Amino acid sequence: MKHSYSLFLLLVILILNSCDKKQAINIAGSTTVLPIISIAAEEFRKTNPDIGIIVNEGGSGVGVNQLGEGKINIGLVSRDITQEEIKAYPNVTFNTISIGKDAVVPVVSSEIYNSGITTLTLENIAKIYRGEIKNWKDLNGPDKEILVVDKEASRGTRHVFMEIILGDKEAIASGADLVLGSNNEEQTAIVQSDAAIGMLSNAWLNEDVKGLNIKMLDGTVIEPTLENIINNKFPINRDLLIVTNAEPTGEVKKFIEYLLSSEGQIIVEEAGYVGINQ
Amino acid sequence: MNRNMKNRLFYISIGLAVTICSLILLFLFGIIIWNGLPAISLDFLTNSSTNFGADGGIVYQIFGSILLILFAALICLPIALGTAIYKSEYLKNEILHKILNTLIYSLNGIPSIIFGIFGLIFFVNLLNMGISWIVGSIILSIMILPTVTLSTYQAINSIPTVYRESSSALGLNKWQVIVQVLLPQGFHGAVTGLLIGIARAIGETAPIMFIATAFSGVELPSSFLEPVSTLPTHILALAQQATNPVALQNAWGASLVLVMLVIIFSISALFIRLRHQSISKS
Amino acid sequence: MLGSTNNIGKYYVYGSTLISAFIVFLIFSILLVNSWEAVTTIGLDLFNLNWNPATREFGIWSMLFGTLVVTFIALLIAVPLGVATAIFTSEILPSTYRIVVKSLLELLAGIPSIIFGLIGIAFFSIWIQNIFDLQSGRTILTAGILLSIMILPTIITLTDDAFNNIPSKYRETAKGLGLYKYEIIKEVLLPIAKPDLKGAILLAFGRALGETMAVMLVIGSIDKIPDPIYNWLSPGQTITSKLGREIAETSFGSVHFSAMIFMGLLLFIIVLILTIISQNSLKSNGRLYE
Repeated sequence: MKHSYSLFLLLVILILNSCDKKQAINIAGSTTVLPIISIAAEEFRKTNPDIGIIVNEGGSGVGVNQLGEGKINIGLVSRDITQEEIKAYPNVTFNTISIGKDAVVPVVSSEIYNSGITTLTLENIAKIYRGEIKNWKDLNGPDKEILVVDKEASRGTRHVFMEIILGDKEAIASGADLVLGSNNEEQTAIVQSDAAIGMLSNAWLNEDVKGLNIKMLDGTVIEPTLENIINNKFPINRDLLIVTNAEPTGEVKKFIEYLLSSEGQIIVEEAGYVGINQ
Repeated sequence: MNRNMKNRLFYISIGLAVTICSLILLFLFGIIIWNGLPAISLDFLTNSSTNFGADGGIVYQIFGSILLILFAALICLPIALGTAIYKSEYLKNEILHKILNTLIYSLNGIPSIIFGIFGLIFFVNLLNMGISWIVGSIILSIMILPTVTLSTYQAINSIPTVYRESSSALGLNKWQVIVQVLLPQGFHGAVTGLLIGIARAIGETAPIMFIATAFSGVELPSSFLEPVSTLPTHILALAQQATNPVALQNAWGASLVLVMLVIIFSISALFIRLRHQSISKS
Repeated sequence: MLGSTNNIGKYYVYGSTLISAFIVFLIFSILLVNSWEAVTTIGLDLFNLNWNPATREFGIWSMLFGTLVVTFIALLIAVPLGVATAIFTSEILPSTYRIVVKSLLELLAGIPSIIFGLIGIAFFSIWIQNIFDLQSGRTILTAGILLSIMILPTIITLTDDAFNNIPSKYRETAKGLGLYKYEIIKEVLLPIAKPDLKGAILLAFGRALGETMAVMLVIGSIDKIPDPIYNWLSPGQTITSKLGREIAETSFGSVHFSAMIFMGLLLFIIVLILTIISQNSLKSNGRLYE
């Protein structure tokens, strides 16, 4: 009884030591890039069944950290890597590759959109997030308090959004009511409310979560359409990045090449984003 | 207010509390079964998840959860047995006994997320084992250690002293008494403890979500150092899309499967416990 | 040969016991070492109000506040409900049904916390939102209610054991004196069961403090103290929800990481103290089977 156990433990230790850690591609990070990678991995494995691809979520910050700590091969990042992050991992050469383009869209609950608030200026959105505008009636909407939905601090969507809206990617939004994580979670909270405003990747807009048009300083109104993302007119846009430590090699390189190929780019577009060649 | 009135009021408030508790129980199980049952089919149980977990089945999640607890049990058992034997047969000092008890109960009380953080720092970062299912198993084995130890201890300790004395009189040394007499008698305690521990461990999310699991793409791990996907972390990912009806249905389905697994382990533990109680009484 | 197996056996049990005993210390030292940087570089500012890693402010006060309030709400609901139900199961219900109740409780205790989270998001938060006409049902109260259900089995099981352990001669004597059931329980049984009750509540307190998944999904996760402070219908943050959401985003070894671990250490110490006190007042071993 006892002997079989010591044997078993010995076996565990042996296997632990002989394990080759590079058998599978480990990927983690932004929930914005995740749908592309998830589907691309499924497709890629149809032609490359020997290569395992393990995908984990957690947000852009998680992607950068885990890559920095050598836990994964590819980090998914939907924003720029910050100076602090580069400084935190001096031994890592962050190598970023863009696989698509996206916009971060200010979104509202459909009840608000249908009540007539379809367009806001960046300034008004900033006032909402600073807590200076607290009720939709101040924007000629219904008399309802605004539910301001913020995101966790290192999330890619938040960095990109706050950079444009409050001028600093790590700005504090003192008007925020909820702080949530993934795109899914943010979307759910906005659907569950009838007076919410939030920030979402363009691919997450639907019947219940409506993207706002943005009124620019010169008075033009920009709609969150793919066309406006392609021609860079929509003011809050970003590249969807995959990050590796130094130049990718081997299987990782093969997978990245697949993402950049025409097949891979079709997946990017079907997921609701804009391909890199557009 | 007279005494009779007070007594009646007392009965009413007790009745109210019992009604509320029963309703809560009914509601919880009702909701899990009502929402989970439509999701469950043979395809759901035997297919891998696709499309972001919203489509397809949960076969690899079930596999991952079982793998984690199976190895947690295997890692935990020898340590728990040893500790229980020491506590029952070797430890005679009252104060040391108290200290050991305190340590075991303290371990039992530690919040599950603390185990997750400990695993993240110690195994994932310091020992550089990466995010891998074996780390999850080790952490879960630590979590269930107190339950298994105490349950084994009770079983061994309740064996009448006369067994020990008569076996020693036959010329067996202490270790032979333990292996040949006490362990066979007390092993059911270890099994009960393991089943109770497993029933608790299989539903844990917080300890494993940073250190052992991945969201998708995981099939059968080919080594000890790969992550797996599990039922609780799958539910966590799907719960965040609570307004997507397809994902939500899969979340309920996975929940029902998870609860069923928990119930299977708890009921087995209950049966073993009851059987041995009736044996020792007769 | 005989002697050597005896010795090996001895080393084996000594070794296992050392491991079991050592783990708690190992966890404690790991937490302590990793939170040291935060303690030395931030110091007392750790107990400030603002948490903002970008400006290197790491004040944990709002998390601490959230944790205490959520737990308080949970106990406020679960203690009266649980104790009353336990009085029913131990003093009123015929003892043949006790096994049924115990099994049902075990089932309730067996529901994993992530499923409570799912139920919380899909039902509780929406109910709270509609009942109180809020913009969002992700509130401190929602988390507290959810938690109260989760600690209910602990309280009922341990209280039930406590009453059950009281020898029936007390009840018979009291009945002989002509006391009503209410008086028997209040004047005779409750005082006897008091230490166990205290233990049960402390243990449930510890459980509630450390609960993560369900709380994390429904509390709203904003690092703010409600305004006004008793407005529990607003979102908040607990130590556990903060850890669950943010620990993976912080880089290992940074001050940010260290400050997160400091919160973990604090939680660990509080729960440890509660566990030790409750162990000293509890006579039953019912908690083993939770």
